[in-house]
Amino acid sequence: MDKISVYRFLSAGCNACDVEVLECLAPRYGLASLGVEVVEEPEKANVLILTGAGTVKGREALLEVYEKINPPKIVIAVGNCSITKNIFDKGYPIIGPLNKLIPVNYYIPGCPPRPQAIIKAVADILGVKIEEREEWWQTPEGFRGRHEIDREKCIGCGACAQICTADAIEVIDGPEKRIIKVNYVHCTFCAFCQDECPTKALKLTGAYHLLTNDLQKARVENEVNLLTCAICGGTFFPEKQIDWALKRIVEEKAPIYRDFSSEILDAVKICTNCRRSVESIKKAKRLLTKLSEKARATVLRK
Amino acid sequence: MPEKVYIGPYRPQLVEPERFELLVEGDRIIDAKMELGYMHRGIEKLFTTRTYMQNLALAERICGICSGVHTLCYAQTVERLMGVDVPERARYLRCIYMELERLHSHYLWFGILAHSLHEHEIFAKIMGEREIIQDLFEYLTGNRINYAINTIGGVRRDITPEKAEKIRKVLKTLRSLSDYIMSLLDDNGVLTKKTKGVGVLPRDKAIEVGAVGPVLRASGVTSDVRKDDPYAAYDKLNFEVIVEKDGDLRAKSLVRARETYESMKIIEQALDNLPSGDIAAKPGEPKVGEEIGRTEAPRGELIYYIKSNGTNIPERVKVRTPSYANNFAILAMLRGEYLKNARAVIESIDPCFACTDRVVVVDARTGVRRIMNLK
Ligand code: SF4
Ligand code: SF4
Ligand code: SF4
Repeated sequence: MDKISVYRFLSAGCNACDVEVLECLAPRYGLASLGVEVVEEPEKANVLILTGAGTVKGREALLEVYEKINPPKIVIAVGNCSITKNIFDKGYPIIGPLNKLIPVNYYIPGCPPRPQAIIKAVADILGVKIEEREEWWQTPEGFRGRHEIDREKCIGCGACAQICTADAIEVIDGPEKRIIKVNYVHCTFCAFCQDECPTKALKLTGAYHLLTNDLQKARVENEVNLLTCAICGGTFFPEKQIDWALKRIVEEKAPIYRDFSSEILDAVKICTNCRRSVESIKKAKRLLTKLSEKARATVLRK
Repeated sequence: MPEKVYIGPYRPQLVEPERFELLVEGDRIIDAKMELGYMHRGIEKLFTTRTYMQNLALAERICGICSGVHTLCYAQTVERLMGVDVPERARYLRCIYMELERLHSHYLWFGILAHSLHEHEIFAKIMGEREIIQDLFEYLTGNRINYAINTIGGVRRDITPEKAEKIRKVLKTLRSLSDYIMSLLDDNGVLTKKTKGVGVLPRDKAIEVGAVGPVLRASGVTSDVRKDDPYAAYDKLNFEVIVEKDGDLRAKSLVRARETYESMKIIEQALDNLPSGDIAAKPGEPKVGEEIGRTEAPRGELIYYIKSNGTNIPERVKVRTPSYANNFAILAMLRGEYLKNARAVIESIDPCFACTDRVVVVDARTGVRRIMNLK
């Protein structure tokens, strides 16, 4: 392709992605220097850039525009709205994801992606090399880019999924393992998950060049082992989460129970079902009595 | 014979797909209609499907240009429902972030104005220099546009002395950008020639159609939520509400240009007097009941109404954005205006970014469409 002419189609996002696409025209980013121009009629374009989640009202217009784009008719979805509908997923007028309506060749994830990400992605698609020498290619500390999960630290508690503002995080329990799956193309990069993670395992990093043509790969995952119930042998709870909780109890919250750690551990290693058995209840009661005796003794000594 | 002219939704492109239908006789517009809804995402319904916390990210995405003030207005309304007392430091920090947002939004507006008046050099200069605010936001909050800075009870990131220094440096550069814009608007300025007497909205008309923000203030009405119903720390900061009398596009430009200096003044004062302490209080339980909150967004008064049934999910959230209020002002301004000024008038209230130079004209008699240059 000698000349790249881009037509922008915006359909119901927050506009920020479209603003960032236009920002790429600023001299600093130099979209023009890659031989790319932005045109105002689809007939003059050979590349279509989509932003927004797609609405009932814009559907016809999108199909019409797509028809008119000239070969090679490359379609690039910019921003998570156009890729997965993102936070607007369950909105009643929303009909995306847009790749259901027309073929999409490339995806540039972000909410919004930085102009740097868009420029680099366009260069990659064109097979042009650009140097990331200037300072503004770097991300500042605290930038909210793609997630990273520290496998050592993650206890599989699912707190991140609970707080998530865009249903980006899935907790999938298999027979032996729990998978925590961050679908960062369905994400607002708000970093609430990072704030909520009790072990600081989850972090948003400076990674922002996220261009892909395979959405299945746009994931960050971690696996944790599920605990086997000491009685029935079924799996029920992340092993590491129990260890973490117990450690917190005996080391931070109530060190006086330290001598009983192994007994407490035995008690919690029974699945909720088996905990209801007469034998388990009796055992639990005995343990509780011991614990309260210990507590009383400690108070008296003081 | 009157002709019908359509502007938008997708041709020519406005940043917000909207559709204007103008009835034109000669080169004058005799009537104007508007059709909205191309951007409708069902947000108010979505608000009632997630928790108060999660809704922060949704409020932020109503508009990607004044994203911050939406989260602030939302958070303040929820804070009232929850009876949360926001720490003093957080209140000052909120003012700093929000005035930075006003700066970037106002400069963006000037960029668009220059673009729609075919002043491409001015457009490029303003858009280029404005980038430093975006960089600053990324440095302060982790994202250039959707800052995710407000939370229920305060803000999520502090401004350290090092960051404050950086903000001051950026303000210095911006001051010269504002000076440049002011020079374009003085008596012989390039923008003055193209904006004087265009799209006049007289004072009573502005009040009648319910205009807000800079559009209203440019028609001689002193109205600013930051003064009339102070929130955050605005009652402790010294600034002036900018008003102009003429009601034309130049007055609207002057209001915004002069407001940039006020914003800088506010930020500097807030940095100088930043109280110590926490940056956020713990959110509480929402009471059963309803609350209303308002803020002065860059485009004018923004209102949130929230009804709570005591659970952690709101029962109803209603948002009245300033652009919505001002849309009616567009119609009032278009009637009687020259067709060649239509685009500038539409853009005088709203961020319509990449409007082209052309509109589709439909001959009212034959229904034949032709492309016409809007110059
Ligand atoms: S992906 Fe995010 S930034 Fe882009 S339009 Fe959607 S909500 Fe806005
Ligand atoms: S430890 Fe952190 S990352 Fe792992 S599941 Fe819990 S909240 Fe998520
Ligand atoms: S940053 Fe985390 S909490 Fe926010 S949307 Fe993405 S996954 Fe969810």
